[in-house]
Amino acid sequence: MVSVRHPRACSRGATYLAPLVVAGLALAALASPAQATVFGPRAGHSPNADDIRTAYWVAIAVAALLVIAVHVFLIAAIIRFRARRGRAPRRFTAGPGAFMRPAAPLVLVAVGTFVFGIVMAGKARDVQPTGSQGLGASRGLVAQVGALSVPSDAKPLAINAIGQQFLWRFEYPGGRPGDRVFSYGELVVPVDTAIVLHVTSTDVIHRWFIPALGGQVDAVPGKTSETWFRADREGVYPGQSTSFSGSSYSAMRAWVRVVSPDAYRQYVQQKRDDLAAAQRYVQRKVTQNAIPGLRP
Amino acid sequence: MTRSTTVAPPRPEVVTEAIPRRRPGWVERATSTDHKSVGVLYVGTSLSFLTLAVVEFVLMRVQLIVAIPLALGLIGYIAPLQIGSRGVAFPRLNLLSFWLYLAGAVTVYGSFIYRPSEAGLAALPPLSDDVFSNTSGVDAWIVGAGLALLGFVCFAVNLVVTLHNMRSPGMAWRRMPLFSWAAALSGYLLLVIGPVMLAALTMLFIDRHYGGVFFNSGDGGAPLLYEHLAWFFFTGSYMLVLIVAGGVISDVLPTFARKPLFSHRGAMLSLLAIAALGPLAWMQNMYTAPIPLGFEIFAMLFALVLAVPIGLLIFNWIATLWGGTLHLRAAPLFALGAISSMTIGLGGELASSVLPVGWQLDNTTAAQGDTFAVLVGGGVLGGFAALHYWFPKLTGRTLGEGAGKIAFSAILVGVYVYALATFFAGLKAQPVDIYKYFAGNGLDGFNLVASIAGFVLAAGILLELANVAHSWGHGLRAGHDPWGAATLEWFALSPPPEHNFDVVPDVRSAEPLHDIRRAIRERTEGWQPPAPAKVPQAGAREAEPVSGDAPEGPSVA
Repeated sequence: MVSVRHPRACSRGATYLAPLVVAGLALAALASPAQATVFGPRAGHSPNADDIRTAYWVAIAVAALLVIAVHVFLIAAIIRFRARRGRAPRRFTAGPGAFMRPAAPLVLVAVGTFVFGIVMAGKARDVQPTGSQGLGASRGLVAQVGALSVPSDAKPLAINAIGQQFLWRFEYPGGRPGDRVFSYGELVVPVDTAIVLHVTSTDVIHRWFIPALGGQVDAVPGKTSETWFRADREGVYPGQSTSFSGSSYSAMRAWVRVVSPDAYRQYVQQKRDDLAAAQRYVQRKVTQNAIPGLRP
Repeated sequence: MTRSTTVAPPRPEVVTEAIPRRRPGWVERATSTDHKSVGVLYVGTSLSFLTLAVVEFVLMRVQLIVAIPLALGLIGYIAPLQIGSRGVAFPRLNLLSFWLYLAGAVTVYGSFIYRPSEAGLAALPPLSDDVFSNTSGVDAWIVGAGLALLGFVCFAVNLVVTLHNMRSPGMAWRRMPLFSWAAALSGYLLLVIGPVMLAALTMLFIDRHYGGVFFNSGDGGAPLLYEHLAWFFFTGSYMLVLIVAGGVISDVLPTFARKPLFSHRGAMLSLLAIAALGPLAWMQNMYTAPIPLGFEIFAMLFALVLAVPIGLLIFNWIATLWGGTLHLRAAPLFALGAISSMTIGLGGELASSVLPVGWQLDNTTAAQGDTFAVLVGGGVLGGFAALHYWFPKLTGRTLGEGAGKIAFSAILVGVYVYALATFFAGLKAQPVDIYKYFAGNGLDGFNLVASIAGFVLAAGILLELANVAHSWGHGLRAGHDPWGAATLEWFALSPPPEHNFDVVPDVRSAEPLHDIRRAIRERTEGWQPPAPAKVPQAGAREAEPVSGDAPEGPSVA
């Protein structure tokens, strides 16, 4: 086969590429992360969620540019080189180095997004210190932070999130081990405070995911995953497990209620008192032998 | 092929017709070790399951039961013809592989009737362990998937040995048609990934029934081990669909653009790179699992590196169209639709393989939309491109062009809209595998659009399947070589006789049939046959050696 380079293919390519780049940039500008848009996730309310969104916009812009470029050239080739009467195909094939020109930008994209991904992953995982509005009392608490890197001057609030079919149990810091304050379904945390979650499971694999407060982590029995967030304003943030866990998996939701530090302290104290009262009640009933079915 | 003489040097060989059989047709079909019969069984069965899957509306679970066997069926039929072989190395193993696949597929589907597996698509333990799924549905899934996989591995053994040892003279690896090259790669890929999944399934079965603790964290096992094994297999089979679709497109486009592939070698290397690097990105599916960050970066590296060979392959295809004369029949239409759909899906995969993005999008319908565009684009659109292209070879008839183009439009629109709607819903954090979603999430519009698109897609697929069923017996008669293609399967009759070729062709380039046509032209211009009665019909069967005329030509048949 005679190898002939097709002289016009590249110059034509450049004319297609220029409007393409403009269109891509315009699209990226239109779909800016500041405004609510169909093209991206809803706004984040935690530093790591913001990092994820930044990464998303860059990655999706790169991907969209590649996809649009392919389609522009593909459609151009289909329109320009349809079979027509009196037209003969030019039977050229690749000459030496024909793949250099397309390979260079592809390698650039692959390496660039790879480095970018590493940087953003590190950024999203680094636990930021508690802000000025946050819970100062958390300084005294010790966090088991495992794989996450934590600045030494800030002690984040360490909370256990334990998945089970089909709800979440949250254990708050303070108190003796085995006698910790807990809640089901709804996690209450102080605003502007670094929260480190230790996520695990007692039965099958679940997944912790509050879209506004950072990425997903698996709850695997026998293993502990770590994630963190620092909610920037008060409110209720819903989420849902995204790992199939059985018949009622669709209903396995979770809520994070972000409150002021004072309200958080009150909540924990209230829970502690309620739990103590419930314990006393049960103890009394046991000693009175008043619990049906329970024989001493 | 033109009506003319093909000449060959005299060579001692026995030329036979098929041995007459006396058994009923269905027994013959069920027991024939002819690779073409087995290929038709594979294609027919996988299309039947595709019909069932469309009716059930569960396209996502069809990877193992439809996409791979459809690819393998076409490979089993076409690849031996493309390399100029008269058969396959292990015909009985080949037949056995089909029956294992059928038994497996029926087992899985049968369990849907009495007790479906309720452990999810990949049956991840501990959910699939006997503590949490104490029903026979999971067992049916394990056994069914295991049988089908065992069949695929048997198929791969036969395929690899055939492609290594039974190529016709001159058919070097570098001259092999891209579809056969993709077949060889998928054979090797199955030999690597198949046993891994078989091992995982066996361990899961032992855990469930014999007190094993492979995946039981409480007793020192690791649920993550199963995830690693299963995702290695599923990523590999994803690559397999991609590679086979790539092989089909690389054979279809040059034929209809009337132009050789821009770079045969480049396409081969691209496919090789996808097969070698793709499965190594398996932990891209485990970004959220408790594994070290370094593992996730390793997966991201291979996922992103894949952009280079895939991008170059697409460049290769566009450069093949460039300067050609594209005849937009149904086959190239489906192939172009497959390129478009797969490109969109792979773009989404590229974005969600960047680490923090994956943490956000994994297991949402955004990731599902990407995968859908790639697998349905490659599996269904690519599969139908292959069917339109090779249907005349299988049956001697063309697959209806008009109905094919209507079906194409419906399928393409369905895939685009469904993939985009689910992608956008996933951006708003809609999880996968849910059967209901909660009001007030702003997801109603997306889900409505996705449902409508799903129906359009299903209608398109059903129309195309009806088209196949109708054309099988009633399609327009096609010649032996309707497309003017360059590869050897068109040198055989349509449908080919049991031994494929009376004369094993010599191969001198990557376009052997063009060489043969040229040789015929050159000879007929200066040489008239001695007597009209001796002029053979078109096709290989009549290509009898003409004694005393065996100089060294550019190619001889």
